[in-house]
Amino acid sequence: MANIYMVEDDLDFADAVVRVMKSMGHFVEVEPDITRALEHLRENRPDLIILDVMFPEDSFAGLEFARTLQKEGPLLKGVPILLLTAVNEKYSMGFSVMDIDNSFFPVADFLDKSVDLDVLKNKVAQLLADSAKAK
Amino acid sequence: MRQPYELPLPLEPAGLEEGLPPPAGAGHSFEPLLLANVTWYCELRWIVIAILAAFGAVSFLPDFMHAFGLKSRITWPFALAAILLFTNAFFLAHIRVLKQSGDLRGIRRNLKAQIGFDLVVVTLTVHQAGSVETTIAFLYLFHIVLSCIFLPRIESLAVTLIACALYAVCLGLETGGLLLPSTLYENAAPRAALSAMPGFPLIHIGSVEVTFMVVWFLTSRLSTLLRTREKDLMETNRRLLFAQTERMRFMLQTTHELKAPFAAIQANTQLLLKGYCGELNRDALEIVRRIHERSHRLAGMIQEMLQLANLRSRSEGPLRRVPVSVASALLSSIEQVRPIAEEHRVTLREELEQADSLGVEDHLKVLFINLLKNAIQYSRKGGEVRVRCRVPPGSSEPQVVIEDRGIGIAPGKLPRIFDEYYRTSEAVAHNKDSTGLGLAIVRHIAETHRIRLRVESAPGEGTVFLLRFPALPGG
Repeated sequence: MANIYMVEDDLDFADAVVRVMKSMGHFVEVEPDITRALEHLRENRPDLIILDVMFPEDSFAGLEFARTLQKEGPLLKGVPILLLTAVNEKYSMGFSVMDIDNSFFPVADFLDKSVDLDVLKNKVAQLLADSAKAK
Repeated sequence: MRQPYELPLPLEPAGLEEGLPPPAGAGHSFEPLLLANVTWYCELRWIVIAILAAFGAVSFLPDFMHAFGLKSRITWPFALAAILLFTNAFFLAHIRVLKQSGDLRGIRRNLKAQIGFDLVVVTLTVHQAGSVETTIAFLYLFHIVLSCIFLPRIESLAVTLIACALYAVCLGLETGGLLLPSTLYENAAPRAALSAMPGFPLIHIGSVEVTFMVVWFLTSRLSTLLRTREKDLMETNRRLLFAQTERMRFMLQTTHELKAPFAAIQANTQLLLKGYCGELNRDALEIVRRIHERSHRLAGMIQEMLQLANLRSRSEGPLRRVPVSVASALLSSIEQVRPIAEEHRVTLREELEQADSLGVEDHLKVLFINLLKNAIQYSRKGGEVRVRCRVPPGSSEPQVVIEDRGIGIAPGKLPRIFDEYYRTSEAVAHNKDSTGLGLAIVRHIAETHRIRLRVESAPGEGTVFLLRFPALPGG
């Protein structure tokens, strides 16, 4: 069982993800407020973070959040981030794997919303397995 | 047999300007001009130094000078050239230091010092060359004009008044006998004749200085008008950039606001379809499946409508085309559609050679992704999509070919496939997700980038899109 922390302001969407993750035997905590999420993560290390990009007060708060986490120090080092996105900063086609880099887009992987729940399950399993191997 | 159709390009490029400079920064409109030209002003002085030295050297050819009625073996040009040489080197070194420290005020002071120093040197030149026998006094005009360009109007007026005063003092001292008149000419008779006239030197000073003032008035007025216009343009540019950023932000926000509810609907319908909430009866399952499919299609359509609107709104203003690697944009697009190809069990085969063109990279990716998605979605299961990128031998225009062996398009329908919301009945039957907007987006980007787009197709045989990109300038 893994501890998954989800930062997502759309609770209808988050609830669907929680159900799928629970069916995989994982524990999921959802935080709709990105500021509170940062405070929580400074004291608690999850096994995986599922992160939305756009939040009500900032269109790209999720990306900035991922960049901040990267600089947070040893507690969060190595925690994979799975980004869920409905838009791309450059054009609304979704992100490409080629966009991932440690400064602009510091995440382990991403999925374009709307998410295929089977794809989400596979992605989460893969990221947790990779993370366990890295330890 | 496949029938060809070539998308006609509009006569004028729609909304693209090459190499549009970045917006100028805020501040005084003459400041960028000042920074750009303060060194140039010094460089110009090297030419003056060379002319003075050359003239001094030529004066040591007595026969040559005599042929023009000029004095020979004159040394003052060397003296002035030497003074200018040292001071110019000092000014240049000072500017370098000021530029490094970003001291704009210091640069302005440096420029004013240069102009003041030049006026004194011009006065010495005027005195030596002949203040009334020659038209050398018009050398002041160069500095008056330059000060009108570089300095605010009031300061350029000060420069003009200083020039008038220096010329008047020079002529006054010569006329009053405090300074021995000098001339380039061997014969001093013209000066003597002028001095004998009752109106001299007032008429002479008056006519020259009225000319200075008129030149100052016209040039400074023109310069002020240009500065005002430049300031207006800068403000307009700033507003346009702000509006463009705001529009982009709005489009992204709208996309998110429209897509997010669909993401929630689809995630929840998947929960029902995949049994996360228990078994549903067959009718209920079928209804949920319909809700899921229609919401998926609607989300796709909204995304494409927004994308087209976004591209259109951007093209109302000029876009900056820069050199871009067509092969890299194509590779990135292939990676993005690879999951769709896997889902449709279609193999993507690419042969990409390096090829560069001018364009907006994001737009090229959108164009490629739409064409690739089309090729995949209209292929049959187990089919293959071939993608090639190269610059043909003897040409400098990159070419991209996207070829499928899918359902194809009837020749009579080819001219309409780029119309918004147009879908052939065969396309609708094969792919229910088709929105009819993908190729309209392709057309828009092709037109704005001057990409020649040719399509060859035949029902049952597949479709080939051939794109010919503009060559890089000088490529």
